[in-house]
Amino acid sequence: MAPVSSAGKGSSVFRGYEERRAQQFSNMPPQIVPILGKTLSEVPASRAIAPFLLPFLHTQQRAASILSSLSDNQSAYKKRIRRGRGPASGKGKTAGRGYNGQKQKGKAPRGFNGGQTTLEVVKGLRGFNNVFSVDMIPLNLNRLQAWVDQGRIDASKPITIKELGESRCVNNVKDGVKLLARGSEEIKNPLNVIVSRASASAIKAIENAGGTVTTRFYTPFAIQKILKGRMDPINSLSSQPVEGQEPTRSPFIPRLPDPTSRKNLEYYRDPAHRGYLSYQVAEGESPSLFWKAKAVRDSKRRTAGKAKSAADNRIW
Amino acid sequence: MEPLRFATYPSTHLHLPLRKDILHRAVIFEGDGTRQGTASTKHRGEVRGSSAKIRPQKGTGRARLGDKKSPMLVGGGRAHGPHPRDFSTKLPRKIYDLAWRTALSYRYRKGELIIVQKCRDGDVQGWDFEEVMNVNGWGRADGRSLIVTRDRLPGLIERMTEKPRAGREKEGVGRHGKVVAEDDVDVKDLLTMGRVVIEKRALDSILREHESDIVKEVARATYS
Repeated sequence: MAPVSSAGKGSSVFRGYEERRAQQFSNMPPQIVPILGKTLSEVPASRAIAPFLLPFLHTQQRAASILSSLSDNQSAYKKRIRRGRGPASGKGKTAGRGYNGQKQKGKAPRGFNGGQTTLEVVKGLRGFNNVFSVDMIPLNLNRLQAWVDQGRIDASKPITIKELGESRCVNNVKDGVKLLARGSEEIKNPLNVIVSRASASAIKAIENAGGTVTTRFYTPFAIQKILKGRMDPINSLSSQPVEGQEPTRSPFIPRLPDPTSRKNLEYYRDPAHRGYLSYQVAEGESPSLFWKAKAVRDSKRRTAGKAKSAADNRIW
Repeated sequence: MEPLRFATYPSTHLHLPLRKDILHRAVIFEGDGTRQGTASTKHRGEVRGSSAKIRPQKGTGRARLGDKKSPMLVGGGRAHGPHPRDFSTKLPRKIYDLAWRTALSYRYRKGELIIVQKCRDGDVQGWDFEEVMNVNGWGRADGRSLIVTRDRLPGLIERMTEKPRAGREKEGVGRHGKVVAEDDVDVKDLLTMGRVVIEKRALDSILREHESDIVKEVARATYS
């Protein structure tokens, strides 16, 4: 065993301590600790060693810490391959780099094909990177219900990305969470869900069970902050104001952002998506920022016609 | 010292086999995390000064030189000097927790884990810190002791702290050992000195915090 095991109570370092303690406890009732100490010290250090050697043995013993003998398993240490250190090493002569050429002597460019036309030029590049795509993490209703059943999410409170992330219902959220309808027949509780997007059938299933769905805009930065508890997961400046619930805001906590692009604005203005901006869309108005709803178009046309006819009737 | 009462702990907490490899990994992990990594030098690009050639290329009979910030010259930059970096390494939490309990088990099996009900802070009538350490065999003569308390006890820390020179003392560290609050202990501390004297509440709390490899915790949403 380790050198520490040799630091028993009978060693020279502890001898003074034994005597002192014996004095201390001599006029006290019998106790467990001194007796224990004595039994330990009575264990002979080694019977095989001649008595005249014992003093030498004792001088070698000391209270060493286990720290010096700690080491990881042998297999945890990997020896570095020393290249170019002679034929016996197996990586001697060419050091694993083959014979003459740029690759032996230094660096060759990536994709370099020995001067031959590179594959990229012969075949051309394929594919592209869609910078507009968003990475939505799908969240199906049966999974959400399972989390509620296990008590990992409280169904009586709003379910936001914060609760979903903390309870590991969704992992590695990048651009947002989209609610999908798989297992919608399993929904039992009325749930109040606030996520980035929701499918029409998922909205229908949750509302049939008496719950609500709100979709709202999140950015990757906002999601990071929300998961750290450093941003409000629900309300932003454009959220529908509620009487008596004015948002209190600390100057040191960043504000949840609102969308600026037309595409996002139109999505969250749409009542069909249960968007959080849909309160801004008046009755009969279109969520689109460009196309007006047919009813509004017609009424505008009618009023414009009336104005013209009124102008015709004017005297001056 | 007389035992006040007996307490039972599961063998998965205080009777684990000694795993030197696990302890080693934990100690290395802590050591890496403790490194400041603030050593910093200036590269030749960061040294202030002109980049003008200090003398003509030819005709002076002296060496060829570029700008005066070359690492070869006095006052120049450091060629491959240290820059601030993070030395910390990673260790799976379950392994780290196992290391904590292995360290405590090692102490327990050697009879070097002394559990006390409560450490008193400050002056206690008829007590002398020096005497308590010596009489119990916890002091310098007996290999020093690590005293772990649940809360920070400034009075006890004050008594333990050695004052070799103003500003050089380490808080809670003295000739008889070290006094630390439970939050500040690490695995290396538990292995360093002659014995560990620990408050029961501190031990319980340490064991509770370091059992992730046995107790599977389900992640839950938190509500404020």
